[in-house]
Amino acid sequence: MPELRLTVNGADHRLDAPIGTSLAHVLREELGLIGTKIACNEGHCGACTVQVDGAPVLSCITLAHAVDGDVTTIEGLRDHPLVEAFVRADAVQCGFCTPGQVVSAAALVAATPEPTTEEIRHAMAGNICRCGTYPKIEEAILHWRD
Amino acid sequence: MELLRPSNLAELDGGLFVHGGTEVVPLLRDGILHAETLVDIRELVPRGIDGGRIGAGTTLAELEASPHIPGALREACRLAASPQLRNMGSLGGNLLQSTRCWYWRLKYPCRLHGGDRCHAAEGEHREHAIFANDFCASAHPSDVAAALLALDARVRTSRRELGLAELYRLPDEADRRTTTLEPGEVILEVEIPPAEASIYLKAMDRKRWSFPQVGVAAARTGGATRIALAGVAPVPWLLAGPEDLDGATPLPRTAWKVEVARALVRRALTEVT
Repeated sequence: MPELRLTVNGADHRLDAPIGTSLAHVLREELGLIGTKIACNEGHCGACTVQVDGAPVLSCITLAHAVDGDVTTIEGLRDHPLVEAFVRADAVQCGFCTPGQVVSAAALVAATPEPTTEEIRHAMAGNICRCGTYPKIEEAILHWRD
Repeated sequence: MELLRPSNLAELDGGLFVHGGTEVVPLLRDGILHAETLVDIRELVPRGIDGGRIGAGTTLAELEASPHIPGALREACRLAASPQLRNMGSLGGNLLQSTRCWYWRLKYPCRLHGGDRCHAAEGEHREHAIFANDFCASAHPSDVAAALLALDARVRTSRRELGLAELYRLPDEADRRTTTLEPGEVILEVEIPPAEASIYLKAMDRKRWSFPQVGVAAARTGGATRIALAGVAPVPWLLAGPEDLDGATPLPRTAWKVEVARALVRRALTEVT
């Protein structure tokens, strides 16, 4: 099988996987990083969001062998203040979308440390929460450094 | 399956081209596209903005953030897809995306798939075409293509230079394709002439990213204003003027799109003139 090299959360990995394997699959099944969730598996919902070189992308429709940057998953953001902010704001109901939400939000606040409500809504539009915790997610991001 | 990553155009030899993968990967997974060889063309396609010339490998996110491109294109990129998809998807790939027609996506043996029926015309077609819909009622989903059509953009491929309109063709009995791109041909660059004012307005079924029900781009250059629409025909659709909407041929449940288009065209023209 073709060799695959990935840098994930600062660690280099070398493994074998068939061409066509998604980054989400490799993260979860090969590297055990199961914080990244697969929900729709077709690039609509945002649950599988990870960062590649700081930009949020959908790992479920990313070909693992075509990744050419450093991958950051929710495990790599364990100590990010946003995690605590989500808890404080109670921005979680079932929690399945939360890792993707935090990954997207982390990219937003890295670029825009004090985002407006409109900037938050624009940047977070690709992360769907079927429990409808959007107002609390917005609150968590508005007050992420409090 | 194998994945090739050629570093120059001369190395291209068949295979299915993939850039950001936001369209090709789901279509492969759904069995609509098939390939033994995937060709990652990211090293071949220019990326970046240089005056009116835009590399086809530039992502929608990069375009959305650029102050150097016309308003219509920036807004079309801003409203197209989710942030993650805009980070992944390229300008060239966006122009080549397939219809969102649910019958086509679900692999009904429709005319676009080579069959002899348009299931949408007979069935559920609320989101479908209001122009050129007698053979296939699919609607073209690219906001960016409508913006570029209004801006009178030209496209440079690995083989030729052409006006954006010439990139597209209506499917017919003899040929079901919706683009004129030949096998092995790659879009490299888009060139946009200067416009004095331009705008893109989009009706969606929700407030944040969604495919266009009707997208309207208008661009003024000199005394002339060009108007182009997304989501209303199997290809991006140029209007000679607002009165062209009188010639629409909506299906029973797409007549509402004509009224939405009228309102958006009126608003767009007010904005750019």
